[in-house]
Amino acid sequence: MKKGLIQATDWYERLVHWMLALSCLFLCLTGLAMMFHSLNSIANLMGGLTVTKYLHNFTGLLFALALLLAIKMWWQEAGVFSMPEDLEWMMVAGGYLWHVDKVPEVGKYNPGQKMFFLAVAIFGLVMVITGLIMWFPLIFPAMLVRWLFVLHALGFVVIFAFFFVHLYLGTIGSPGSAPAMFSGWVTRAWLKKQHPKWLKEMEEEGTLVVSGEENKAH
Amino acid sequence: MTEKIKLFDTSKCTGCRSCQLACKQWNQLAAKQTRNTGTYQNPPDLQPNTYLVMRFQEMDDPKAGVKWFFRHHACMHCTDAACVKVCPSGALYYTDMKTVGLNRAICIACKECVTACPFDIPRYDDKTDKVYKCDMCESRIGNNMEPACAKACPTGALTWGDKDKLMKAAYKRAKDLGGDAKVYGDKFVDGTHLVYVLQEKTALYSALPTNPSVPLSIVLWKDVLKPLALLAAGGVLAGSFLHYIIHGPKTPDEDGANKMEGGE
Repeated sequence: MKKGLIQATDWYERLVHWMLALSCLFLCLTGLAMMFHSLNSIANLMGGLTVTKYLHNFTGLLFALALLLAIKMWWQEAGVFSMPEDLEWMMVAGGYLWHVDKVPEVGKYNPGQKMFFLAVAIFGLVMVITGLIMWFPLIFPAMLVRWLFVLHALGFVVIFAFFFVHLYLGTIGSPGSAPAMFSGWVTRAWLKKQHPKWLKEMEEEGTLVVSGEENKAH
Repeated sequence: MTEKIKLFDTSKCTGCRSCQLACKQWNQLAAKQTRNTGTYQNPPDLQPNTYLVMRFQEMDDPKAGVKWFFRHHACMHCTDAACVKVCPSGALYYTDMKTVGLNRAICIACKECVTACPFDIPRYDDKTDKVYKCDMCESRIGNNMEPACAKACPTGALTWGDKDKLMKAAYKRAKDLGGDAKVYGDKFVDGTHLVYVLQEKTALYSALPTNPSVPLSIVLWKDVLKPLALLAAGGVLAGSFLHYIIHGPKTPDEDGANKMEGGE
């Protein structure tokens, strides 16, 4: 491995993240196949709509598990805003939309990431709960189930749109980010640009893991 | 093909249940053992193997004594059908005659139609894992025959024919009957294809909604959120592309000394 890279994520974090990502994507795909008659052909690839329905339902259980693990893992770091720096960051949109001389320094997660986490956590739970009831709709009042379909569709609107923002900013929109999801090792320059406060914290606490160097934490 | 409706005139019905039996016979639906619950109505409600049930009611009237209500209870075949709107597989569909057909072979048993129907018509059978309802005898009406129920009716309470002609007849009949008599079916869900001439007030008939409509939740879901999902995602994709080519990605600075703001 190249020397001087910094470990941003551990294997567990990446595993849970991939579980959540892949199950979510598969749910979007199978959901779309059932949502639009014009996309019914996607279901044919998986053995028909009835098979797709069951794949969707059972993948939902995997998604629920991944979501709970993700919330447990991230809610302290990404579920709470730290004022006032997060507010300042939001006022300049993190320097993403217009030129900002000095973007307020953020830690491991910037407010945009926190908002995405909260959207996924809240709407993910909505999807799981409404989905479970929609699986067995006849034991609940029709009026309730009808409105759960609305919530399920609303959750899809939010998560599906947010997913593309997330995909863009995790890849070409922010070069150097994707390795955090694959190998877990990122460059110091990327960390300094994206999460300067986190870099400082790790340096001060001596928790920084650098490739080719002894772990100073010991 | 011309739009057709089935007209049921409560004032001409004697409650003989020929229609109910003819429905069972044509659709080859077995009967189920039921229990006497003190009414002539049997079975008590629509079932997966009962697409049509004659509803019986006894009403006390101080002047006329006991009144009998008979209602031919089956799928109303809405022009704007909530079940067709929600059906993900296309198993529920509009026929050329504007009735609502059901292709059970492709039904995936999501049961969304059971929840959506404002008339509470479709019934789910867990043994076959499919949904059942009246299809207005599509195998008959598609071949220029009338539905089995209308064919069997001995009193003329049930008639099948062109919509224009029968609607006129329905309004004339309601006017002739006078009193509370009215036409039920053409004023909501863009018109049903089972239309009633009700001799009494609508609210008096059991299991008959006075002002049914495609539920607001389903309109929101299918007509607003569904297109919005694609619009939002498409907007984000377009926005990301524009961001990349106009503002540019957020790239790490080259070196400490050489500060390069990526793409700005």
